[in-house]
Amino acid sequence: MLQLRGLSLTAGGFRLGDISFAIPAGAYGVVIGPAGAGKTTLLEAIAGLRSGVQGSVAIGGEDVSRLPPEARSVGLVYQHAHLFPHLSVAANVAYGTTGEAGLREATALLARFGVSELAERRIGSLSGGERQLVALARALARRPRLLLLDEPFGALDPGRRRGVRAAVRALQREWALTTLHVTHDFAEADVLGDVLVVLEGGRVRQVGEPAEVFSRPASAALAGFLGAENVLAGVVRDGEGSSYLVGVSASSSVPSPDRLPTESRLLSVDVGPLLMHAVGDRAAGPVHVVVRASDIVLERPMSAGEVHHSTSARNVFPARVAGRSSVGPVTEVMLDVNGVSLVAALTTRSAEELELAEGDEVLASVKALAVHLC
Amino acid sequence: MRATASRPIGATRSFGRAAVATVVAACLGSALLLFIAAPLLRLTMEGGVAGVRGLLGDDAELRASLVMTVATATAASVIGALSGTPIAWLLARRRFRGRALLSSLFDLPLLLPHPVAGIALLLVLGRDTVAGGTLLAAGLRVVGSPLGIIAAMLFVSVPLYVSGATEAFARVDPRLEGVARTLGDSPWRAFRRVTLPLAGRGLMASAIVMWARAVSEFGAIVILAYNPKVASVLSFDRFTTYGLPGALPVAAVLVLLALGPLVALRSLRTTAGVEY
Repeated sequence: MLQLRGLSLTAGGFRLGDISFAIPAGAYGVVIGPAGAGKTTLLEAIAGLRSGVQGSVAIGGEDVSRLPPEARSVGLVYQHAHLFPHLSVAANVAYGTTGEAGLREATALLARFGVSELAERRIGSLSGGERQLVALARALARRPRLLLLDEPFGALDPGRRRGVRAAVRALQREWALTTLHVTHDFAEADVLGDVLVVLEGGRVRQVGEPAEVFSRPASAALAGFLGAENVLAGVVRDGEGSSYLVGVSASSSVPSPDRLPTESRLLSVDVGPLLMHAVGDRAAGPVHVVVRASDIVLERPMSAGEVHHSTSARNVFPARVAGRSSVGPVTEVMLDVNGVSLVAALTTRSAEELELAEGDEVLASVKALAVHLC
Repeated sequence: MRATASRPIGATRSFGRAAVATVVAACLGSALLLFIAAPLLRLTMEGGVAGVRGLLGDDAELRASLVMTVATATAASVIGALSGTPIAWLLARRRFRGRALLSSLFDLPLLLPHPVAGIALLLVLGRDTVAGGTLLAAGLRVVGSPLGIIAAMLFVSVPLYVSGATEAFARVDPRLEGVARTLGDSPWRAFRRVTLPLAGRGLMASAIVMWARAVSEFGAIVILAYNPKVASVLSFDRFTTYGLPGALPVAAVLVLLALGPLVALRSLRTTAGVEY
């Protein structure tokens, strides 16, 4: 387990402030944040490579805050591998090990990552991807209690990235190795993470399961950073709504009932000329409405001007297609909903079947449960 | 009407300017090369044979001065490398109050006229000074002794080592040391296993430059220890006593001696693939 309590550090003009979160034993934690958020600094502070760190770092229940890096049992992989250029690949991987057992472990790890043939090569002759694999093997060869990964897959081509990601995740599960992985890749965070930590401006902005964080970001700024396509300013109406029993949803981005506030009710929110419905416990007043593009369902109206529609979705709006763009199997459709711009994401096949073209009238619907207020 | 192939006027002018610039640069470069090479070649040709003959034959004074030069320069370089390496590491790796001052202090001897360096050393290591007196009481005479020569050589050459070694350490990514620490190394072990091997060529090159500078020193040595004579002092002594013919063999041998470190330095640069 990794437990950070009030971790703070000033480096140059940058301040990492009051960082507190926990990654359960054997879990895979992902720290996501924009460039300059302090992600690498955070990893170095945990590894003991930064001076002037305040607060506490506990690994496996032991407070290591006062221990030097060599006594923390941490494996660290930097974005650019940082292999020792004067040593061979095998010597790099075995660097932190001792004796025959260490060499065997190093050899086994190289084999596991499919790079045994590199063992005698010099570092200068390796590709970026090969370097990353060797750096991973080197960090793991000592069997650390905690693995720290700083964008370790950045140098790999997409095909190999998937394979290595899967290999690292499998090994992490097999060894029950607590891991903290820094990335700015949302897909990586979503696929790998048991716990997602959003770091921005040197502070933790949100911690939770990736699906939860992505669907229910804590602020509008965070929603924007996390790639939410529709972030709209709105006002919760006063005195409306009643105690509401939330149904279970199969959608991954819609929260299950136990994650909603206990006092949740159906709320009415004015978003410009639109009246939207959401589920939450917000008091009346200004909010930001976050709707994931993939939570918007499009359909052709049965007749021109149809608004009322037999559906369970609380939010149904007539909209006009303002444009569309396809990237492989996914098509984004830009909508004009009575002057409000929304983006819907659907499969390209659906878009083709609906024969959506610019200027077409459609019905856009969103479940109230998929409307997040922050 | 006949069609003609033509080059744009702007391109022709630009080509012309580039050609003129190339010719001017080549002329200036050749003149400089001649300016450096001609005296050295002439000196070697005029005095080289006599110098080598004297060195191998009857010129015991020349032999003794050469041994003294090599021995004292080597001693100064060893002392400089041992004491300068930690300072260079400190300057490369740590940011602290007074760092700029410390760095400037180590550069200062490079800017001083060398007799001034000798005078400054005399003020600290002379017989009537605290340090000089203490050393003398301990049986270590500085003025007019090999110790004085080593002191003068160290003073004028160690800045070159500190500066070069600082650069060599700065070129080693500190994150490599950090990774070594996470892999179980203490700070000293990480330094020994990672930093030192990676900075090694740079440190060696800096030590060679320091040695070469020590061998060529004259001004500070002549103030602190005219005797025993190192080669540079001997060449001056013979020039003032016997004129140019007397100084030529010694001067030529010094030029030949300078070739050794030069070749070593070039070899280091080639194998390292980088310029120091």
